[in-house]
Amino acid sequence: MNLKRTLSATLCAAMAFTACAALTGCGGEASEQVIIYSNADDEAVESMKKTLDANGYKGKYVFQSFGTSELGGKMLAEGTDIEADVITMSSYYIESAQAEYSMFEDLTFTVDTTDSYPTYYAPFLANQGAILVNTDVLAESGLTAPTSVKDLANPEYAGYLSVVDIQGSSTAWLMIQSLISEYGEDGTKDILTEIYTNAGAHIEQSGSGPIKKVRAGEVAIGFGLRHQAIADKEEGLPVDFVDPAEGNFTLTESLAVVDKGESTNPIAMEMVQCIIENGRENLMTYYPVPLYEGENADSNAVSANAKTFPEPLTVELLEKHRNLSESCK
Amino acid sequence: MSKKKISPQIVILLFSGLLFGFFLLLPMVTILAKSVYGSDGVTFEFYANLFAGGNIFQAFLNSVLISAASGIITTVLAFIPAYAVNYTNIHKRLKKIIAALVMLPMLLPTITYGFAIIYSLGKQGIITKILGRQIVDIYGTAGLIIGYVIYTLPISFMLINNTMGYIDKKFMIVSRIMGDSTLKTFVNTVITPLISTLAVSFIQSFTLSFTDYGIPAALAGNINLLSTRLYNEMLGSLPDFNTGSAVSILMLLPSVLSILLISCLNRYNIRYNKISVIELTKNRVRDWICGILSGIIILLVLSMFTVIFLVPFVEQYPYKMQLTVSHVTEIFTDHTLMNVYRNSLIVAFLTALLGSLLVYACALVSARRGEHRHYGKIPDTVSLITNTIPGMVLGVAYLLTFRGTFLQNTFAVLILCNIVHYFSSPYLMMKSSLEKLNASWETTARLMGDSWLKTVVRIITPNAIATLLEVFSYFFVNAMVTVSAVIFLASTKTMIITAKIKELQHFANFNEIFVLSILILSTNLAVKGLIRLFAAIRMKKGK
Repeated sequence: MNLKRTLSATLCAAMAFTACAALTGCGGEASEQVIIYSNADDEAVESMKKTLDANGYKGKYVFQSFGTSELGGKMLAEGTDIEADVITMSSYYIESAQAEYSMFEDLTFTVDTTDSYPTYYAPFLANQGAILVNTDVLAESGLTAPTSVKDLANPEYAGYLSVVDIQGSSTAWLMIQSLISEYGEDGTKDILTEIYTNAGAHIEQSGSGPIKKVRAGEVAIGFGLRHQAIADKEEGLPVDFVDPAEGNFTLTESLAVVDKGESTNPIAMEMVQCIIENGRENLMTYYPVPLYEGENADSNAVSANAKTFPEPLTVELLEKHRNLSESCK
Repeated sequence: MSKKKISPQIVILLFSGLLFGFFLLLPMVTILAKSVYGSDGVTFEFYANLFAGGNIFQAFLNSVLISAASGIITTVLAFIPAYAVNYTNIHKRLKKIIAALVMLPMLLPTITYGFAIIYSLGKQGIITKILGRQIVDIYGTAGLIIGYVIYTLPISFMLINNTMGYIDKKFMIVSRIMGDSTLKTFVNTVITPLISTLAVSFIQSFTLSFTDYGIPAALAGNINLLSTRLYNEMLGSLPDFNTGSAVSILMLLPSVLSILLISCLNRYNIRYNKISVIELTKNRVRDWICGILSGIIILLVLSMFTVIFLVPFVEQYPYKMQLTVSHVTEIFTDHTLMNVYRNSLIVAFLTALLGSLLVYACALVSARRGEHRHYGKIPDTVSLITNTIPGMVLGVAYLLTFRGTFLQNTFAVLILCNIVHYFSSPYLMMKSSLEKLNASWETTARLMGDSWLKTVVRIITPNAIATLLEVFSYFFVNAMVTVSAVIFLASTKTMIITAKIKELQHFANFNEIFVLSILILSTNLAVKGLIRLFAAIRMKKGK
């Protein structure tokens, strides 16, 4: 009986360790499929999948989604050791990983963008910033909707406003860009200080913080991504958006191929080319900002007042703007 | 007289030493190196940067004070239901229900806590609507404390309840016969044997709160905290692993204090020769008060989670309240999901099995009297350190350490990470229950010619089986709900269900998040049920 017990315990342990070892073994095996890591929304991923499937790549790739911070952490920690062959991520993030590890290959096809971009990535969509409002809460509290980002500094909005902290997420950058390009750095400092006072406990670290709070009715007004508000509005929620007078600024998301030397999967580059050349039309139904020559925005879907920041959106610029934002808290 | 033979205790120590050397020390050294090693060699600029603003002191202070307050409140609150379960004549079945309900929140991923509180106590929250007004401002200290207490209460209860089970209650009778006052009896026979467990409970609750990021992300308001700072440095808009590593080293400071505190309190440990089953004195007033207080605590905690069961079954809470199952079907028609779910089960099961073995082995060495007992300080220290490493830091450290090795993107690395991450609570629980068992068993057995291993298998294990099963389910449940560390280590082939939740959270997709949370909850309940069944069958056989 006791012998049996000892035996079974030992056996149990042995089996477990073997299983563990076996798992190690099979996890390491190489795969022919192109692995694509992405921080993009469901809609964007589905749209890219559709394009790949329609062009004969069905079953030849795997999409793996991550949150922006997790994917960012993985890229900066693993460099070229990352499992992915292709990464879709915020452009400035790709730049900063490239600066750290030179981990991406130059594109082998020509990218016909309206603005100029580095040679190792191709933008596939652009997110636009906008003011988000909860129409129910606005009405309940007798507030009028703001028309500009500057309006968010009005004391009447104190306690009703939620914004993103640029330390936590680059969604905040869209708001700060609009202020700096309109009022200069000094003007921005004054306005941003007031905005942070108004937001108080609702300065969010996550880019989706304001839309969550607006949707939950915790606040009446937020600053976030335009397409999130559109989606909520279409679902019939009391959520709407305001295109601010300063203009809607954009941040692009891009595709890049990881340089794995000898073992770089040759199909990876083909797939990126395929998404850029055949997938943009579909992507623009969700993210209607034109990025390539010959693309036309649907005037209903895209803000008439889309703007781009006068300087290139580099990591250094983000750092500078972050420091400015910190001085306003 | 004794032959030069390697004792099993030494084998255990060597094995666990190697394991923690590779999977705790090495990653932490990597982090330490990151914090002092920049592109131009060794430098203290990252620490200098960190301290330059002065903000960091405020953040440290805020984190310590709020976590300490939560630790105290949690321990006091957890004591009440534990007392009700162990020291009153409340009906047996009711006791079981109390214990099960207090532990229930542990079976849900913590990622849902912040949201659950906002949708319960926020401006549009269920509780706010029922009461007609907002009872507390949830953004700031109050919200954080509520969140932390809800988060750590089950663990605190688990620790206290476990130790209470091993206290010999006969001494209460002795104390009363000796003419002690009720208060004195309570202090001498209940509090004193519990002192070190209460301290452990405080420390566990403190460090869990101190290192948590999910709750502050939702509820911190404009309170500056160390964990938010850590997140922003490591994974914010401008990630900086160097400064982030410096913050994580700073976060280890409280563990140094807790190691000191625990070693101070260890001398209060009391061993009982046996645990007598006694008739507790009849005291209806006591039973009612304890029962009602426990009920209130449970009600308050669980009321926060009602939204989880409401939100996914209505169209769009709180605006469109029509019932629907479309969110549920949406999730279950996702064909990749079952794969991910299976992966989660594999990881959770192996984490539980291997984790329990490791915890048991380490606790046997450190808790049972013997020539190797002084080495027990090693697992003690390990347990306190693992406890203070935020999951995010552990995850990033593993990434940096094991990049390019055969472990990268395997199940093994996920399992090892989980075991190291969750080593602390089960180890402390196992140890404290082994310490309460009669210390002379080994000696007696040796005199009778049994080897240590034989004693462990024949005598100690059957007496510790209840705790061992608790430990198993603790590991399983936590491996099922954990997000923070493994999110970085999961790959396309080893993706687990909580990583999916994190992804959905990124898009603020709470309907799906709650459906998955309920799936995880039911899995955990099923596993707990199976373990109970197994224990019951064993008990019957034993008789």
